[in-house]
Amino acid sequence: MLKRKRSAQDFADEIKAHLELESDELKSEGLSEEAAHWQARRAFGNVRLAQERFYLKDRWAFLDQTVRDFRFAFRSLRQSPGFAVTAILTLALGMGANTAVFSVMNAVLLRSLPVNHPERLVFLETSDAPRGTGTIDTHETFSYPVYEALRNQKSGLSPVMAYVPLSASKVAVRYGAEPEGAEGEMVSGTFFSGLGVDLPLGRGFSRQDETDHAPLAVLSYNYWTRRFARDPAVLGKTLFVNGVPMTIVGISAEGFEGVDGGHSTDFWIPLQNRPELNAWGNPPNNGKIYTTDPTWWCLRLIARLAPGASREQAVAQLQPVFQQAAFIGLGIKMQGEKPPVLSFAAAKNFYGFEDMYAKPLHILMAMVGLVLLIALTNVVMLLMARNATRQREFSLRLALGAGRGTLFRLLLMESFLLVTAGGALAWAFALGATRILGQWAQIESSLAPDGTVLLFTLGVLALAGLLFGLAPMRVALAGKPELALKTSAATSNADAGKSRTGRIIVTLQIAMCVVLLVGGGLLIRTMRNLENTPLGMKVDGLVVFGVSPTIPSVPEGRIFYMNLINKLRMLPGVESVTIMNSRLGSWGSNNSAMLVDHRLPEGASGGSNAVRWNLAGPDFFTTLGVPVLSGRDFADSDTASSPFVGIINEEFAKQFLPNVNPLGHTFGPDNGVATMTIVGVVKDHKFRSIDESPIPMAWYMYAQIPVIGSMNVEMRLHGDPLTILPSARKVVQQMDPNLPLIKPMTQRAQFDTTISQQIMFARLAGCFGILAIVLVATGLYGSLAYRVSMRTAEIGVRMAVGARRGQVVWMILQDSLVLTAIGMAIGVPLAMLVGHALAASLYGVKPLDTVSYVLAVVGVAVVALVASAVPAGRAASVNPLTALRID
Amino acid sequence: MTTQESNDDRVALLQGTLDLLILKTLALGSCHGQGVARLIQRNSEEAFFVDHGSLYLALQRLEDKNWISAKWGVSENNRKARFYSLTPAGREQLAEKVGEWRRLARAMGLVLNSSVGPTGEEA
Repeated sequence: MLKRKRSAQDFADEIKAHLELESDELKSEGLSEEAAHWQARRAFGNVRLAQERFYLKDRWAFLDQTVRDFRFAFRSLRQSPGFAVTAILTLALGMGANTAVFSVMNAVLLRSLPVNHPERLVFLETSDAPRGTGTIDTHETFSYPVYEALRNQKSGLSPVMAYVPLSASKVAVRYGAEPEGAEGEMVSGTFFSGLGVDLPLGRGFSRQDETDHAPLAVLSYNYWTRRFARDPAVLGKTLFVNGVPMTIVGISAEGFEGVDGGHSTDFWIPLQNRPELNAWGNPPNNGKIYTTDPTWWCLRLIARLAPGASREQAVAQLQPVFQQAAFIGLGIKMQGEKPPVLSFAAAKNFYGFEDMYAKPLHILMAMVGLVLLIALTNVVMLLMARNATRQREFSLRLALGAGRGTLFRLLLMESFLLVTAGGALAWAFALGATRILGQWAQIESSLAPDGTVLLFTLGVLALAGLLFGLAPMRVALAGKPELALKTSAATSNADAGKSRTGRIIVTLQIAMCVVLLVGGGLLIRTMRNLENTPLGMKVDGLVVFGVSPTIPSVPEGRIFYMNLINKLRMLPGVESVTIMNSRLGSWGSNNSAMLVDHRLPEGASGGSNAVRWNLAGPDFFTTLGVPVLSGRDFADSDTASSPFVGIINEEFAKQFLPNVNPLGHTFGPDNGVATMTIVGVVKDHKFRSIDESPIPMAWYMYAQIPVIGSMNVEMRLHGDPLTILPSARKVVQQMDPNLPLIKPMTQRAQFDTTISQQIMFARLAGCFGILAIVLVATGLYGSLAYRVSMRTAEIGVRMAVGARRGQVVWMILQDSLVLTAIGMAIGVPLAMLVGHALAASLYGVKPLDTVSYVLAVVGVAVVALVASAVPAGRAASVNPLTALRID
Repeated sequence: MTTQESNDDRVALLQGTLDLLILKTLALGSCHGQGVARLIQRNSEEAFFVDHGSLYLALQRLEDKNWISAKWGVSENNRKARFYSLTPAGREQLAEKVGEWRRLARAMGLVLNSSVGPTGEEA
C-alpha cells in the first residue's frame, strides 16, 4: 500500500507551526514578542534549505535537475538561432560524412560473410599455375582435378567447396516466357551445408546432387524478392538456364548473395557437366568443358578447416596432394619447373573487397576524419565565441549564487542538445549517402549503417558533446563574479580576441584545409585524366550487348552469328556491326603465350611474352573506329575455308616483329593447332580498361577458330545508339526465343565502369574537399571576424589617438596573415605525406603536382584574407567614438 | 547535529544518533517536532542542540520508514501542530538501536578505562 505523498505545503505548514510554538515558549520564558520571533527563526536555521531538501527527498534529484537544465539550455539556444543552426549543420555535415564512409568501410571491410563461423573458412590460393594451363586468375582459380583431389582427402579441410560463375557477366535464364539475364553460379553439393547458410524455404544441394549433376536451382533471397515478389509457389517450378530446365528447390538466407564481393549471385545450381553450362559461359574447348579439361584452371575454391585443424596444419597436409593434382592431365613436369604452392586467404570477409577497396576507403576515412576535425573545431570556436560574449551573463549568474557545477551542467546540456540534433541529422544524411555511394560504386551488397556504425557514431558524438561542454568552460569560469559589476564589454572581452587557443585552432584549420584541398585536387585531376584518356577508338555511337545462344556444333554457331550480323546490319540507322568474344572495357581478356613465325619469341626485355587475344568478327576495327595502320580489317570473306588470317597491334609488332614489315608473318597459339597470317596492323587502343597501358594483342577471325560460344555484339549507329536496342532484341529473339540481350549499354558506359571506382573516389574526395573548404571558410570567417570584433574597442582607441584606417586594417590583416602562413607551413608538408600515400591511386598526376598545391594554397589564402579583410575594414570604418561607446 | 559556538559545553550529535534520540523521545509519548527538539535538549541537560531543519527531515525520514506515524492536532496552548507517535515497528527499532548503542558505549568505556599498556619493546 502506498501512502499518499506528503505535500511540500504540509511540510511548510509544519515548520510554520514549529516557529509559532517555539516563539510561544520563548515568550513564556520572558522574551519580548519580537525577540522571541527572531530567536525562534534563528534557532531553526535555513528554512528554505530545509524545504528544498524535503522537496528533493524522494525525487530522483539528478533527473529533475536534468529536465530543468534541458529546458534552460533549450531556451538559451533558441535565443540565438543563427548560432544553433550553424553549429548543428556543421556538425551534421562533418558527422554525416564520417558515418557514411565508416558505414561503407564497415560493410565492405569489417562485416563478415553471413555464414556460420566465418573465421574457420578459407579461400584457396596458389602461386602461379603450372605451365600449359589457362586460368581465369593466375592465383585464385583451380582445375577440376585439383578440386576433386582436395575434396576427396579427409584431413585438414572439410569440406572443400568449388564455385564458378555460369558467365563472366549474366547468364540467360527464362522463367515463363520472357528471357532475361541473371547472375548464376555452379557450386559443390556441400556449398550451403559447408558454409552454414540457412535455407528458410526449401532445401540446398547434397553431395548426390553434385554427383548426378542434378538439374536443381536455389534462388538468392534478394533475387526471389526482386524477381518473384517472394512467391513461395516458385518452389518446384522450372527455371531455364541457357535453355536447360532447372527445378527451383530452395531460397537461400536473406543477405547471402555468394562469397565474392561486389556482385550478388541470383541463383546457384550444382556443378554441371553439359557443354551449354560450361564454367564462365565459355564455349567448349575442343569439345572439353571445365570438368574434362585439366588445363583450364577456372574454379574458385573455398573450404572449411576441419575440426581441430589449424591453418598451418591444413596447408601442410594438403600441399603434397595439391602439388600432385596440379599436374594431372598436363603431361610431364618440365625440367626445373617449380610446383605451384597452395596457400589460404582468410574468408572472413567477401573475397576481393579487401584488395579493391581497402586503400581508397582508408584514405577516404582519413579525409572525412579531417573534415570532422574541422567541423568540430568550428563548433568549438563558435561555442567559445558565443560563450565569451556571454561572459558577463555567466559572471552575473555566479554573482547571483549559481555554483560552478551549475554553469558546467548548463554548458554541457547545451552541447548535448547541439550534438543530439546534429547527430540525428548526420544519421539521416549517412543513410542517404550510403545508398548513393552503393549505386556509384556498383556494390550490390548493402552499405547501410548497422549497429556497429551506430556505436561508432554515438561514440564520436559523446566525445564531441564532452568537448563542446568543456571547451567553453574555461572562458565561462574566467569571469569572476566581480566582472558583472564592470560595465564595459571592451574590458571583459579584451582578451578573447587574442586568445592563444583561438590562434592555435585557426592555424590548425588552415593546415588541415591545405591537406584536404591538395588531396582532393590530386584525385580530381586523376579523374579528369582518366575521363579524358584517349581510348584509341571512336567510342561514341557504339552500343554493345551480349548473346549466349545454345550452340550444338561449331559450323552451326558460325551460321548463327553470320545470320545475326547480317540481320542486324539491315536495321535502320545501323552503320556497321561486328562481334567479339571478350567485351571491350569489361576487365575480361584472354592471355596466352603465342608462337610468332612458328617459334616462341623472347619476351621483350626478357619479360613476359604473353599476348592478349580476342576473337573478332568482320569489320571489327572499322566498327570500333580503330585506325588500321597497314593491311586490312577482317571481312565477311574470311571464312573457315579461306586462308587463316590474324591482325595484331603496334605493340605486338614492336615487341615480336621489330624492324620488319609484319604483314605476311604468322602467329598462333603455342600448341601449334592453328597458324594465322598477319594481314593487318592496328593502332594500340584500350581493351580491358581505361587505365591499362599498351600490351601486345592479336585478333583471330571468329569464323576460323574451332571454338565458338557467347559473343558480344558491337554496333555503330547514327544518332543515339541505345535506340536500336528494342529492334535488336526483336531480331535476336526471332532467332532464339530463349535469348536475352545481356548487359546492353553504350560502349562508353562500358568503359566508364572500369574507372567507376576511381571516379567515385575522386568525386567523393572532391565533395569532401569542397565541404572542408566551406567549413573552413565559414569557420575562419567566423572566428577571424569574431576576433576582430572583440578588438573593436582597441581599434577605437587607436583611431582616436591618430591611427589611420590603413594602419588599422594592416594591423588586423598582419595578425591573420601570420596565422595563415604558419598554417600553410604545417599544411604543405603534411599534404606531401598524403600525396605520397595517394600515389597508387593517381593516374597521370605526380604526388607533387604543382597545380594542386598552388591551387590549394591560393584557395586557402584567399579565404583567409577575405575572412579577415572584411571585418577589419568594417572595424576600421567605425567612428572611434562609437567604437569606444560600444555598450 | 550542530553545536552553537557560544556554548562550550554543548556537544555535536554523532552521525545517526538523531534517529535514536527521536525514537526514544517519542517512546515516552506522542509529541510534535518542536516538543521533540526541546525534550532532547532538556533531557541531555542542554548538551545536545538539535538543528531544527535536520530534525524535521529526520522525522519525515522515520515516517517514511513507518517507524513513526503523524497526524495534525492541537497543542496544549491551542496551536495547530503535527503530532508524532511511535509505531510497533518503531518500538522494535528503538529496542534494537538502544542495544547497539549500549554495546558501543560499553566498548568505548572499556577501551578508555583500560590500564594494560603495550609491553616488551619499549623499555
